[in-house]
Amino acid sequence: MASRIKLFLVVFILTAIGGGIAAYKHARLGLPLRAGELPEQWLVEAKITFIAPPEGGKVSARLSLPAAAVEEGLGQEAGSVGYNYYVEKDQGEYTAIWASEKQADNQAIYYRVSFPGRRTSGGEPMPHAGGGLPAAVNPGFSGSLQDAAKRVIQRAKSVSADPDSLFVGIFGEIAAIDASQEVGLLRARYEDESGRGALTILGIDLLNMAGVPARVAYGVRLEEARGGQQPTRLVEYYDGAYWKVRDPDEPSATLDPEKMFVWNRGGGSLFEVTGGEASQVVFTVIRGFIPLEDLTDLRDSPLLISTIFGLPASEQAVFRYVVLIPLGAFVVVVLRNLVGIATLGTFMPVLLALALLEIPLDSGLIMFTVIIAAGLWFRFLLSRLNMLVVPRVAACVVIVTLLMMLLSVVSYKLGMRDGLQITLFPMIILAWTIERMSLIWEEEGKRSALMQVGGSLLVAVIAYLFMSVKQIQYWAFYFPELLLVLLSLIILIGRYTGYRLSELFRFRDFKEA
Amino acid sequence: MGVVGINMRNARYLLPNNPRRLYDLVDNKLRTKQLAVDHDMAVPETYGVVRSPHDTALLDRLLGDRDSFVIKPARGSGGKGVLVIVAREGPFFLKPSGVKLTLDEIRHHCSNILAGLFSLGGRRDVALIEYRVHPARVLTEISFQGAPDIRVVMLHGYPVMAMLRAATRESDGRANLHQGAIGIGIDLATGRTIRAVHHGHPIQLHPDLKVPVVGVQLPHWDAILDIAVTCHEMTGLGYLGVDVMIDEALGPLMIEVNARPGLAIQLANGVGLLRRLEPAMERWKSHPHDSHQQKLEFSRKTFGVK
Repeated sequence: MASRIKLFLVVFILTAIGGGIAAYKHARLGLPLRAGELPEQWLVEAKITFIAPPEGGKVSARLSLPAAAVEEGLGQEAGSVGYNYYVEKDQGEYTAIWASEKQADNQAIYYRVSFPGRRTSGGEPMPHAGGGLPAAVNPGFSGSLQDAAKRVIQRAKSVSADPDSLFVGIFGEIAAIDASQEVGLLRARYEDESGRGALTILGIDLLNMAGVPARVAYGVRLEEARGGQQPTRLVEYYDGAYWKVRDPDEPSATLDPEKMFVWNRGGGSLFEVTGGEASQVVFTVIRGFIPLEDLTDLRDSPLLISTIFGLPASEQAVFRYVVLIPLGAFVVVVLRNLVGIATLGTFMPVLLALALLEIPLDSGLIMFTVIIAAGLWFRFLLSRLNMLVVPRVAACVVIVTLLMMLLSVVSYKLGMRDGLQITLFPMIILAWTIERMSLIWEEEGKRSALMQVGGSLLVAVIAYLFMSVKQIQYWAFYFPELLLVLLSLIILIGRYTGYRLSELFRFRDFKEA
Repeated sequence: MGVVGINMRNARYLLPNNPRRLYDLVDNKLRTKQLAVDHDMAVPETYGVVRSPHDTALLDRLLGDRDSFVIKPARGSGGKGVLVIVAREGPFFLKPSGVKLTLDEIRHHCSNILAGLFSLGGRRDVALIEYRVHPARVLTEISFQGAPDIRVVMLHGYPVMAMLRAATRESDGRANLHQGAIGIGIDLATGRTIRAVHHGHPIQLHPDLKVPVVGVQLPHWDAILDIAVTCHEMTGLGYLGVDVMIDEALGPLMIEVNARPGLAIQLANGVGLLRRLEPAMERWKSHPHDSHQQKLEFSRKTFGVK
């Protein structure tokens, strides 16, 4: 009995702590309990990394800021310890400047902007700043390049009437897959010099040569992706009255404010680091529910668990997935210990469910089934070779890899982009699943093997459905202390000694003699 | 109903009564057999142990000219990886089903065992080669091929339930009830079979052989219960199942001890385990110093069919 009291005490304490912190956050800090009460927020974070001299020295970093963010009063903040920070304004352009005298080795500087869904991308037509008219800068081609460039411009001009259509014409021509000889020549030259983004630079030079002032702008794609993104090069050109920003990949469309956020325009450099080496900038985009100002309050609150919001956006993006794993484990506990579904490997379904979160459910399940079925067939071929166990599983890994490549290629050729995401499946787990399934197939018959794989799939799908509920994701991420409540639930189930649902079925005919 | 489910078995009987450190005694059949021999218990004779890939190369020397033997993983569970050879025919070895195996195939089976394919958690393992039990006539008469075994479940040394598992055509020589073997409940007091189930339904006759399986008197019942209680004493496990086979010539032989005995025994006996486990637990608490003999008497008296 004493252990029972201890059990309930532990459960009660965990629930009280978890629920208490959550209630405090809700009542005192005003964090809503339901997802969707606040409009969605985009959080865009720029992260500049560089290496300061090891002995320390004077370093400074400049990051051009989205003018819209400063002028519209969007939530913004800069993060960096030990730096002197200020914002400089020059002709409608804003630049954040960090300076320090005593930094050494690896450095990271953050700047965050958050905003609700917008109707403007920041790339709207804008009059020329600084008075007068901008002048096109002739790129100064020579020799055969000049001839080639001239011909390309002539062709584009012949089908266009104004700078807008010239822009479409030039970018249409240089981005075409079956490009003309002249374009091929120019492309080869630019790819040598500027590598990635060569086409954009080439197009800008051609526009300038045609008498349309043009320059580079930088944008951030509003897409949540793991691992951050490089800034996207956009083109800003002057149509005689306004500067306009367009995406060279979609020359005929204006920027979609739901997909693109223009970070820098005006032709200045995006960022500059003096005194450091190997500098680069990476953007991370996450979709949240809480405006940056409120997040700051949360972060400063004394509760330790809240500090997840103090992490840079790139790490926060990882945590969005990490906090879902316990939820998947909980679903497995419920389905195994209360319902009694047999699965292959205890937590294999959780990994599968995590993969499904990023792939559409139907194509994910089809790919899984195809790989397992084909893998099993190969495994039976392999079993004739009488191989030892570990080499056999390794052989399975090789086969699974090849199958994945094959599936990706086939589905890509058929025009299904989903096939490319197949690499998200945990390969080693798939190989072990095939191995174990084939053993069960031989030892207990195919019925048992199919039942267990089917059980695993069912559990994975249920875990996936559970983990993909918006409200659940919201709680897990913004109220991670509720995981303590989940923990106490798991502890309670751990002490459940009643029947499993499947046992009621198993013992249904039981009559005592 | 008093039926025990897996959650209850684990939480109320396994975890509190079976200390983790004792598991290896029974999960490793080499150690179990050694313990049994130390306690003068009859077990199938070990012909050899394959411990390394090198030993598999010398397999023919280990086998000598024996016609029948059993190869099993020392850490196997639930009958996984058990290979029974009943005879030789030229270069081939015959399984009970008549399938012919070459020496190479047997070697491959051994290397699978060594790699841990059948062991709990995939640990590296060793393969045991041992005497194949020739089951007593009474038992072969009620089993379609395969060797029937007797399982006695005990709590703190009090036998609480027993059953006999016999193979059918459907179960293909195997004794797992969910694969179609029949489970036959045994009266603890007398060793007489009292009830039989096939796929959960009571039967009187063997489905293939059409002979009565209820009312059969098992030989050596006293010795079997004696072996079971000794297994508890030598391992110290509180909740365990002991598997025994009866050899025509050698009498009852202890095959293995199981620290996680299954729940199908309740179906075979038509009695929920809780009805037996609770009185046994009471008795153990009130008489913690019962002797071997007193435990046997208590069980036979309390749980026997009157």
